[in-house]
Amino acid sequence: MATVTDLNISEVKLSEEYVGKWGMFINQDVCTGCQACVAACSMENNIAFVGPEDAGYGRTMNWIRIERFWDGEYPEIKMTSRQPMMCQQCGHAPCEPVCPAFATVHSQAQQLNLQVYNRCVGTRYCANNCPYQVRSFNWRDYKRPEPLPNQFNPDVTVRQRGVMEKCTFCIQRIHQAEDKARSEGREVADGEFTTACAQVCPADAITFGRVDNPESLVSQLTKQYEGLKHLPELGTLSNVSYFKGG
Amino acid sequence: MIKRLFDWLKQPLGLIAVGIVFLAVFSVAVYGLSLTQKAPDQPIQFPHNKHVGFGIQCLYCHPGASKGPNAGLPSQAKCWACHNQIARTQTSELLAPLKNAVESGTPIQWVPVAQVPDFVQFNHRAHIAAGKNCEDCHGDMTKVTVAENPQVFNMGFCLDCHVKTAGEDKVLLNKLADCGTCHY
Repeated sequence: MATVTDLNISEVKLSEEYVGKWGMFINQDVCTGCQACVAACSMENNIAFVGPEDAGYGRTMNWIRIERFWDGEYPEIKMTSRQPMMCQQCGHAPCEPVCPAFATVHSQAQQLNLQVYNRCVGTRYCANNCPYQVRSFNWRDYKRPEPLPNQFNPDVTVRQRGVMEKCTFCIQRIHQAEDKARSEGREVADGEFTTACAQVCPADAITFGRVDNPESLVSQLTKQYEGLKHLPELGTLSNVSYFKGG
Repeated sequence: MIKRLFDWLKQPLGLIAVGIVFLAVFSVAVYGLSLTQKAPDQPIQFPHNKHVGFGIQCLYCHPGASKGPNAGLPSQAKCWACHNQIARTQTSELLAPLKNAVESGTPIQWVPVAQVPDFVQFNHRAHIAAGKNCEDCHGDMTKVTVAENPQVFNMGFCLDCHVKTAGEDKVLLNKLADCGTCHY
């Protein structure tokens, strides 16, 4: 059995010390559960429509989902706030060490969890190890009915059968913004771009930005509302903070 | 049954049959491989060597390379800007597709030659801004007519240059050798 001394302790950081790069703040109190983020994410990231049969098997594909909870027993139930759940882009991710093909790797430059589609062999180990259950698997080659293939986003790979996928924090937009900023010889400004889910949210429940910059909106909101991480006891060092006042 | 088949294959006629089958499979495979190494057929046998020889810059016809992800293929309007002043355009047989395209207004269907797979996100602008020249990847265009690939655009080719460019700079290496730089 591995003891504590066997682990490379120097690489393990405490959640207080860890600072990521890109992060989100989600205010559950203002989330109305309208699912606009789910739709926008599907359109932005070429997510497949699985159809009723596969959905019946529980093979729906979403990179973001709205979780709902309630208090009490039927018929005396009271809805509590909805909870948008997407990849938490953990700094110490449980999905990463289990991949036998190194298809889910940590980006040192962007501090994101990457899913490299051309490396993925479809063992689904990462999805089984994800405590947030945010990964989805392409069980088939899902075809879109005409004329929907015309609105595929050319900046995002169209995944094929046997490949795992998950939220990327709209890395194509990150690259686009960084490329534009570099061509103009400046840094990416806070709020210059945002993810598809944050952009479409009518209640502004989702805020995206740099968490390593204390001046950014997402850092300030996280500080102001004392945003909490999901399952911090697992030491995943997630980059998404949630606030639920009640 | 199987034993009889093996016995038949061991006699001279059987060996010849095995040899013929092997040769057929081998030659089909070689032909298939040779097809992948050939430049695709273009609607016009465009002579890159002549145009570059006249001193036309790459970016004149492919201006997207310095602005965004795609270098772009020129429309017939761009060709016509020069070619309508050249008398031979009207009579030349090779340029008939261009004349037809301009007169009918249908675009010329150029076939892209330098392509990367769908799971690779390539951006020309970043490479031009980093001081790369077109010929570093696309070869010397003064030597070819229809565009050809001087090398296979695979990950080894890209990463080789990325690692070399980064050199000792660990921050730059993190960025240039990151999977998420090209694959997302």
